[in-house]
Amino acid sequence: MRRFLAPPAFLAGLLLVLSTAPAADPVPAKAGAKAGEKGKRTEVPYRLTDTKHVMVRVKLNGKGPFNLILDTGAPAVFITKAVAKKAGVPVTEKGLSDFEKFEIEGGLVVPGAKGRVEDLFQLDGMNGMGLAGVELHGVVGYNVLAKYRVEYDFTADRLGFEEIPGFEPPGFVRISGGKGGQGQLEMMGPLMKMMASMMGIKPNFAVAPRGFVGVEYDDKDGVVITKVLTDSPAAKAGVKAGDKLLEVRSTEIETAKGLTRALAKAGVGTRLRVLVKRGSDDVELTIDLGRGL
Amino acid sequence: MRAILALALFAAAPALVVSQERVPAKKLAKAEPVVVPFELLDSRHMAVMVKLNGKGPYKLIFDTGAPMNLINNRIAKDSGVLDAKNKAPAGLFGTMGQKKVALLEVGPAKLENATAVVMDHPTVAAISEALGPIDGIIGFPFFARYKATIDYQKREMTLVPNGYVPADAMEALMGKMMAAQNADKGPKIVGPAALFGFAVDKPAGDTAAGVAVTDVLKEGAAGKAGLKAGDRLLTLDARWTDTIGDTYLAASLVRVGRDVVLVVERGGQEVRLTVRPVRGV
Repeated sequence: MRRFLAPPAFLAGLLLVLSTAPAADPVPAKAGAKAGEKGKRTEVPYRLTDTKHVMVRVKLNGKGPFNLILDTGAPAVFITKAVAKKAGVPVTEKGLSDFEKFEIEGGLVVPGAKGRVEDLFQLDGMNGMGLAGVELHGVVGYNVLAKYRVEYDFTADRLGFEEIPGFEPPGFVRISGGKGGQGQLEMMGPLMKMMASMMGIKPNFAVAPRGFVGVEYDDKDGVVITKVLTDSPAAKAGVKAGDKLLEVRSTEIETAKGLTRALAKAGVGTRLRVLVKRGSDDVELTIDLGRGL
Repeated sequence: MRAILALALFAAAPALVVSQERVPAKKLAKAEPVVVPFELLDSRHMAVMVKLNGKGPYKLIFDTGAPMNLINNRIAKDSGVLDAKNKAPAGLFGTMGQKKVALLEVGPAKLENATAVVMDHPTVAAISEALGPIDGIIGFPFFARYKATIDYQKREMTLVPNGYVPADAMEALMGKMMAAQNADKGPKIVGPAALFGFAVDKPAGDTAAGVAVTDVLKEGAAGKAGLKAGDRLLTLDARWTDTIGDTYLAASLVRVGRDVVLVVERGGQEVRLTVRPVRGV
């Protein structure tokens, strides 16, 4: 099974794109820019997907946000046909389409951004199996990344995008020789989709909020309620400051982490059976989880 | 627009996992920057010179979109990463699986006990055929260990070790493929990492940016910071909150006791509020 699954997994996860399409869109390199000059820096929030891809969110012509992977292995921005349709991006047969507005989360509007409308087989494959844990809509490649000094640091929760004053990245060159395209890999996307359906995989990317309790606690010695917020579900259920959590949903609670785990699947409207120690008594309470964060 | 909002809600799943993995496993005593030059190929890929176990140099593509390092069978055997006499049967595209590389050098950057997948990747081969020998890819398991700044103007990458220890993406990928079959089919429940003390809503048909703040608990962290019912929450910690799901995902990444900015629209004005969420649920 591993031998059978591994190559498609490698191929789908690896976002290396060779495209002859952007060749029709040359941008001359601008000379005379002084290297190393400091530019305006924008902090861009990101997430690592389950597949360890660096994902940012982008609003395209005001629509979205869409989930794009930062990919120096791609020559340009690529977006799926479905995204192009939603954002009203015209599809060009050869070359790149113009975006009216390309805004990266964190407040970075990329001037004059263009991209290729094309369904990459890697994204099809990952989405078909839900491998990334999130639906992917495209990649941000060279033509946008090269405009910035991009700082990656996975111990921080922001990426740094610093403008490079006066620098225009060299344009595309027509590549001669080679087989071109993806080296006959285009069948991988459909293949992975087929495998997904054969294996009974139907990815669900939906997200639902956890239910709201309405207590503050400290967890120095077990989880002890320090404050019950007025009108909260906890207040209505009769939780009192000083109560020590013993059990939530029949799971023993010793640490804050344990509490988080016990609540991991408790959505809004869940009826929570809670056992607390109050003075020398064990008190059982029922909390109807509400909406809030 | 409904469809787009639904899509945005779908978007968000991996957040909880991320916040836990972001903690560096060890602190480094001293962090010296290393500068790695790169070549900009005509295909507009970055190429770096790489040595494996002291052998080489080989030219590889540096790819932030690659969850693993990858080398072809030729240099795997040449460098001894793969025993030249190895007769084990290969998978599709000559796949030999993930192998240990005792010493991986990318320019002047040295990394011990690295890993690389051995595979003759068709796209690498296609680029190689067009632009001269290219023998693999350097990806996440390498650059994740550094604060890495890429400068296309200077054609160089500056690396400062940051103590981050990347989880094995290949194992995660394979595990995910195996687990995908028996996965929970319901939506993923996302909880905030700390207590803010407010509620939001977004009725069907509401297509404007942000979500409506419906309730604010007065003695909660957000209430104390001045958040009011009726505000329109646009961002939380610089992350867009255009759906209820996105609001929770943004909150799931904010740890207890850290100041975060909430941007709200109130009476046609954008107001920035600084909130320090507390330990609670």
